[in-house]
Amino acid sequence: MTHNIQILILGVTLGGVYALMASGLTLIFGVMGIVNLAHAAFMMIAAFIAYFAFQLFHLDPILSIVITMPVMFVVGIVVYRLLFARSVADTHKRGVLVLLTFALALTVEGTLGFLFSNIYRSTNPSYASKAILFGPYYLPEGQFYATLMSIALLVGLWAFLQYTRTGYAIRATMHNRTAAEVVGVNVDRISMFVFGIGMALAGASGSMLTFLFSFYPSKHWEFVAILLSLVVLGGMGSLLGALIGALLLSVIAAFVSAEFGPTWSPVTFYLALFVILLVRPQGLLGKRPEL
Amino acid sequence: MPLLQINDVVAGYGIGPDIITGLSLAVEADRSYCIIGPNGAGKSTLLKTVCGLVQARSGSVVFDGKPLSGLRTDEILRRGICYVPQDRSLFPDMTVRENLRMGGYILRDRHAVEKRIDEVMEMFPILKERRAQLAKTMSGGQQQMLLLGRALVLKPRIIMLDEPSLGLAPMVSHQIFESMNVLKKAGITIIVVEQNARIGLNFADWGCVLDLGKMVFEGPSQTVLDDPRIEELYLGRRRRRTGAGG
Repeated sequence: MTHNIQILILGVTLGGVYALMASGLTLIFGVMGIVNLAHAAFMMIAAFIAYFAFQLFHLDPILSIVITMPVMFVVGIVVYRLLFARSVADTHKRGVLVLLTFALALTVEGTLGFLFSNIYRSTNPSYASKAILFGPYYLPEGQFYATLMSIALLVGLWAFLQYTRTGYAIRATMHNRTAAEVVGVNVDRISMFVFGIGMALAGASGSMLTFLFSFYPSKHWEFVAILLSLVVLGGMGSLLGALIGALLLSVIAAFVSAEFGPTWSPVTFYLALFVILLVRPQGLLGKRPEL
Repeated sequence: MPLLQINDVVAGYGIGPDIITGLSLAVEADRSYCIIGPNGAGKSTLLKTVCGLVQARSGSVVFDGKPLSGLRTDEILRRGICYVPQDRSLFPDMTVRENLRMGGYILRDRHAVEKRIDEVMEMFPILKERRAQLAKTMSGGQQQMLLLGRALVLKPRIIMLDEPSLGLAPMVSHQIFESMNVLKKAGITIIVVEQNARIGLNFADWGCVLDLGKMVFEGPSQTVLDDPRIEELYLGRRRRRTGAGG
């Protein structure tokens, strides 16, 4: 029992960070209808920023979100303007836009690989190797703080969507793009803004993954596969779904890792993806595709 | 001077062919209009062009003496033209009240919007009754009523409705048109596209018949209803074998 609770703790504390990673992906999908395969590649850009901020200026990786989030927000706006703005309104082109995000992921990976080479890196703030002990259990401090920060950001995002005028407009665009346009939402500007927010969330995730995982430019493929399975489980476009999916799969992966060894842990996500697509393709909280 | 003047407009989607091929219409403020015509005649495209969802390729749309060309939907909405699409375009996971609130999205003054929502609810008691309900849980007729209410929040000069009776039972359709009469009495100019030509023309003062992107015929509703060509083509009566045929 003790053993199981310990695994649960480890799973949940990593799940919060996965939820943050997935939130940007699902938000962008919800508003624009595009699966952004470059999401994790953008996390890598932020990871490198956080890494060098730590190495050169000893900036704490969690605090580095004050740099990575605004930087990635601006990157998101620019990328949206240059690549997506003209095509996103055209539903026929959305399928092709997924290929564009794939190309974007490859480009980012290649550029990062060229600049920084594909060696393993990570930051090691003091808390990264410590643990909080309570009774028979331990809580890795790094995971704990990262999850706390992730949850804080997710609550902030939720409140923003729920209570602000722009939040209303974003949710309206998610529900029904035409209806939003008809009541006077500038859906192009909303899409651009959401792409920026999604990238800023990728930025925060990138900052925090630097001390949770060792990373290198092509690591993003691993993440994007995991994120897709979480988001599909929760229901594409649903924030709450992404949170539930992240916690659920992270806990399951922790148990699989404990039972069968860490090499099997990533397989959990891919298997889950298969099962979800077969059994409930719209995910836990997703909407059934309408006619 | 007409409230809305559509001058020789040509419009279509993306790189596709012209759907509207040179159409003119003068909309007077104190009339209501019903647009009928076969599928593909360009009825919906006409409304979308006026409200800025589709950009005219040539020609002009002038509202209240000012051209609307190049304006976005939200800018046209601000001028006072509101469009209600045919696909029950509500926000399904928002409540009735939140949907109405979205109707006033372009207004910055929240208190004014809330006050206006209360007024709209007085006009449509069913919306007041269901204010806390999610839009997706309402019946088709109630959803259409909510769309009307949402359009009303802004007090527009013109409301354009695209097939409000689509998919509704005949009795419910009649209720919707009765509600539209309320709007008419409130001094709003209504332009409605309607498959059910009879109910649409009975409601409106003026009928417009479109085919292949052009205005074929327009006139007072009763005249349009009585015109033999219209009867044959659009009202589904048995065709007589005289004349030039279809």
